[in-house]
Amino acid sequence: MGSIRFENAGKTYGSGPGAFQALQNVTLDVTEKEFVAIVGPSGCGKTTCLRMVAGFEPVSSGRVMVNGQDVVAPGPDRAVVFQQFALFPWKTVAENIEFGLRNKGLPKGERKSLVEGALQLMGLESHASAFPHQLSGGMQQRVAIARAYVLDPAVLLMDEPFGALDAQTRVVMQEELVRLARVQPRTVLFITHGVEEAVYLADRVAIMTKRPGRIKEVVDVRAIREAEKWDDLERIEDVMDTESFIHLRTHIWKSLREEKGASK
Amino acid sequence: MVSGYAGATLAEHVWHSLRLVVVGFFCAALAGIPLGLLMGYNRPAEALINPIFSLIRPIPPLAWIPLAILWLGLGDAAKVLVIWLAAFVPSVINAHTAVRGIDGALFAAARMLGAPRLRMVTEVIIPGALPMIFTGLRLSLQAAWTTLVAAELVGALMEVGFVLNVAQQDIYPSMILVGMVTVGVLGWLTTKGLVSVERMALARWPQGRS
Repeated sequence: MGSIRFENAGKTYGSGPGAFQALQNVTLDVTEKEFVAIVGPSGCGKTTCLRMVAGFEPVSSGRVMVNGQDVVAPGPDRAVVFQQFALFPWKTVAENIEFGLRNKGLPKGERKSLVEGALQLMGLESHASAFPHQLSGGMQQRVAIARAYVLDPAVLLMDEPFGALDAQTRVVMQEELVRLARVQPRTVLFITHGVEEAVYLADRVAIMTKRPGRIKEVVDVRAIREAEKWDDLERIEDVMDTESFIHLRTHIWKSLREEKGASK
Repeated sequence: MVSGYAGATLAEHVWHSLRLVVVGFFCAALAGIPLGLLMGYNRPAEALINPIFSLIRPIPPLAWIPLAILWLGLGDAAKVLVIWLAAFVPSVINAHTAVRGIDGALFAAARMLGAPRLRMVTEVIIPGALPMIFTGLRLSLQAAWTTLVAAELVGALMEVGFVLNVAQQDIYPSMILVGMVTVGVLGWLTTKGLVSVERMALARWPQGRS
């Protein structure tokens, strides 16, 4: 189970003449096991969308639902991967991954095997007892992804997870995420400002307008990916070289550029 | 020094001073750190306590001496109170600032991971604040020693500060120096002790980060 529904969701900060409208009538459906990326001009409120699903911020109007239930508070059924990793520096890699399982009240033996599975899934076996600061940024983000995956969440929320990584590490992580999506498909909401990243990773790409943000267009990437057999290509650069990829990327770029132009 | 000076041997003076500092320091840490943590994490508590604290803070601990003596007499209790006041302030401020300095994403992560309230305190707030809490403790210890001598100059019968007082009346400069060096050495030794506790406690923390 795992679906996300934005129903005319709006977000306003403050009230009266000083009120700041961040989001307006956001409507979007993410279905079970679907990977949806949201792209938009900076400051359009895409991260706010994710924070509302996570339960960090309440909606001002409309509804945000997960599995048909209104979101009221954060919880382990909606695991978040943050841009700045947000690992506990005083906990080892294994302890970071185990933390959510302990909060769930799972017995020790079960926790241990789940943590081992998550370490293996992300290729972290040899770093189980390392501290986050001893790892590279890419490895730290692997830990954060493992920490989210191990909870077996209904939905996975990723807030520009590769934004803090260098270009080469980012490519590795993007390929890794595609691999993960095949091994253990999840419902994913992925926030990014990278158009290529969005087209490469997502089943659908939702494009947002400038502030106050709303969804202006949803591009179905999956249909094209399957028709053009992107998945037969092993490397990200080969996918990005296909005509269909370039066409989609350009289309989304143009759509975003209209928004930037409109703000001037 | 076998016959002693100012009514007691150096060891007795030192022992008495050390006891005052240790008691005052520990009481200050025990009260100050939780209060600072509470102020850092709980907005209503901060709104309530911070104004009072800000008002008391600029009063030099020594200004409390007359009141302390009136309330508690000339004994150790008054001195401990003054030392406590001096050591209390840095403990509170640093614990308070420490919680404020914890990366907000860590709180978000802990909530997302379903951490119950108590675990939030024991596994996020306290560890997150710990490096700076220790900074505060070092300042507290220093303040405790600085205040001790001043407190002892007023109506003491034993202790290092009393040695200084008597030596001054006796016009005995070398004894004054002995007293001063003793305080210096004691301060240095206790700080060293605190630093080694800090090293053990912060073994898991990345170096040079707080």
